[in-house]
Amino acid sequence: MSAHDPHVGSRPVPSWGVRRFTPSWRWLTEAMWWVEHAFGRAHANARPEEDTRVRIFVILSAFSFVFVCLTVGAIHAALLTAGAGGGVRPHPNAVVRADMVDRNGALLATNIVHYGLYIDPAQVWDRRAAAAQIRRALPRVSRTRLQNALYGDRRLLVVNRLTPREKVAVHNLALGGVSFEPEDVRVHPLGESARHVVGSVDTGGVGLSAAERAFNDEIRAAGARGESFQISIDLRVQGVLENELAAAAEATQAKGAVGIITDVQTGEVLGMASWPASNSRNLATAATYEMGSVFKTFTVAAAIDTGRADMNTLLDASEALQIGSRRITDFHAQNKVMTLEEVYLHSSNIGTSRLSTEMGPRVMRDYFERFGMLSRAPFEIPSESPIVPGEWSDSTLASLSFGYGISITPMQMAAAMGALTNGGRFIPLTLRKGGRPDVRGRQIVSPETSLTMLDLMRRNVVRGSGGRAEAPGLRVGGKTGSANKSVNGRYSTAHAVGTFAAVFPADGPVNARRYQILVLIDEPQTYPRTGGFVAAPAVGRIADRIAGFVGVARRADPYRTALGDRIPAFEDLEGDGR
Amino acid sequence: MNTALVALNRLFAWKIRGIRWVEIIGVLLVAAMVFSVYVAKAAAARESARISDLERQISDNGQRVRLLRAEVARLEQPNRLEALSRGAGLGPVDVHRQATAENLPSLAPIPEPRPVVIAPTPAATVETPAVEVER
Repeated sequence: MSAHDPHVGSRPVPSWGVRRFTPSWRWLTEAMWWVEHAFGRAHANARPEEDTRVRIFVILSAFSFVFVCLTVGAIHAALLTAGAGGGVRPHPNAVVRADMVDRNGALLATNIVHYGLYIDPAQVWDRRAAAAQIRRALPRVSRTRLQNALYGDRRLLVVNRLTPREKVAVHNLALGGVSFEPEDVRVHPLGESARHVVGSVDTGGVGLSAAERAFNDEIRAAGARGESFQISIDLRVQGVLENELAAAAEATQAKGAVGIITDVQTGEVLGMASWPASNSRNLATAATYEMGSVFKTFTVAAAIDTGRADMNTLLDASEALQIGSRRITDFHAQNKVMTLEEVYLHSSNIGTSRLSTEMGPRVMRDYFERFGMLSRAPFEIPSESPIVPGEWSDSTLASLSFGYGISITPMQMAAAMGALTNGGRFIPLTLRKGGRPDVRGRQIVSPETSLTMLDLMRRNVVRGSGGRAEAPGLRVGGKTGSANKSVNGRYSTAHAVGTFAAVFPADGPVNARRYQILVLIDEPQTYPRTGGFVAAPAVGRIADRIAGFVGVARRADPYRTALGDRIPAFEDLEGDGR
Repeated sequence: MNTALVALNRLFAWKIRGIRWVEIIGVLLVAAMVFSVYVAKAAAARESARISDLERQISDNGQRVRLLRAEVARLEQPNRLEALSRGAGLGPVDVHRQATAENLPSLAPIPEPRPVVIAPTPAATVETPAVEVER
């Protein structure tokens, strides 16, 4: 046996390797050793050419395999992969945040490229002349910042958010060392109009308030797709609401005012305004009010819905109601026994107090809960919690029945009025166009109660305290509310809140298209301060002006002609039981 | 079978000036392939540049449209329009002066068509000289 013995499987591995490696390493070294000496072994076997061919074949096979893999990969990438040719390109019109538009596509907020102005002092020839020219082209630039940049030692930002026009003005100076860097800026071209609905955005493009915040993720996603994001607001309706609200607030020298217009069938908010618009606080969601007699609507609705009363129920309001030591009187005392309709139309505190104490705390609480009076309004813009009574004594029930002892946000009132007038379904209000798809209405009163209340509200405008809200042919129904505000723990007659919660058209089936208008005037200074005088006229004008936008045609109803003239034949005081 | 194999072998071994013709064809094929790949890539690069250019234009135009839309929205904001129209003496239209298309006939009845009067014969005699004057 020699060193060239063909039967030798392998040469002995050098001894240093054996000692240092673990068994697995030993196996590997042995295998490598075997491959290294294959040529020698083949020679020893006297078949050198065969060995070479085998090697060539093996290498050829390996390379062929690799190339076939590459070919298959290349073909797959070129022909079968989606978005072939450079991967997924961003949409050419993609922006950080989508344009926010109203329900008809009118622009509410958009992103526009603005520019930051930078100056590199090393490249400025004549600093004094440059300073003078820039200040002439751009009067709003701060003198100290400009000086700092011009006489500094490195490139500095002088001013940001240059509009394209300002940029052109500075660019045309053809100064050395002046450069611009684009920056995406959220612009609200409507100024203070609809600001409480649209909200604001920080410099990083994240929504801070209102719809910008509520729909932040969806707006960004729509922006990436190059699409607009629609909200439920109708800018025409919003415009009318803002203008009429401002007119009413200025005419009454009020401290504040709120207006909300909703579609009662879908819960969509078509307009929401808070006056003064310069105040960043949205009074529709962030303020709570004791709204007074508007609540009689809910007390009467609860009484009708529970079957405790109908239109012909008689309630004794001939004298003040005594509850313990408290004496409840009427603002417009009639001193007689009244029907339910008269109680509502004359806004009798005595009548509704009797109803609420008869129903008792459990029923009243249940109905207030159903109308959403006792909890925060479910709405995209976070709102204030209501201030609700701690105990539900008879005296509290009497107060609640005519809207004292409970402070709610105007949003809650708008949602509750919507629920009462759409057939009895409570639908959370929303800024989402088409309503919230994830929420189904909750039946809170029967459709019959809803119809009865619609008729009562209409009668209240025709013959009751809401007469100034009448808009010819639009069948406006509603309820006034007038309350004194609590100042330092006492109700002050000098501080009042006048409200009018309306719905139009009040006739037709329960599922007819119908719109709710709420106007609240906070601390009017003119006399009389009641809702029928300070808020109702604004509601009438708003209904008159938006009817065409929302598609409500003028028609006659049993009480008035299409042109708003009286129908004297109507003397149906007893009515048909509603 | 064996002769065919031998012929194939000879064909494979056929050389032109010492270079196998199979290798020459192979080199030519590779050259053709390299060239075609180059052409295809150059065309793709040109298209890609064109696409980028168009997309940049779309983006620029999008920006301009956005700017103009913002300007329109600013000019058409309801407060501004109302202030302007009030200043111009305009106001909401009184309900008695509003009408829909359906009640137009009641507002201004369609005039009864007047009976067609057949022109008496003297009219024709008057017309003939007028035509002659034109000539």
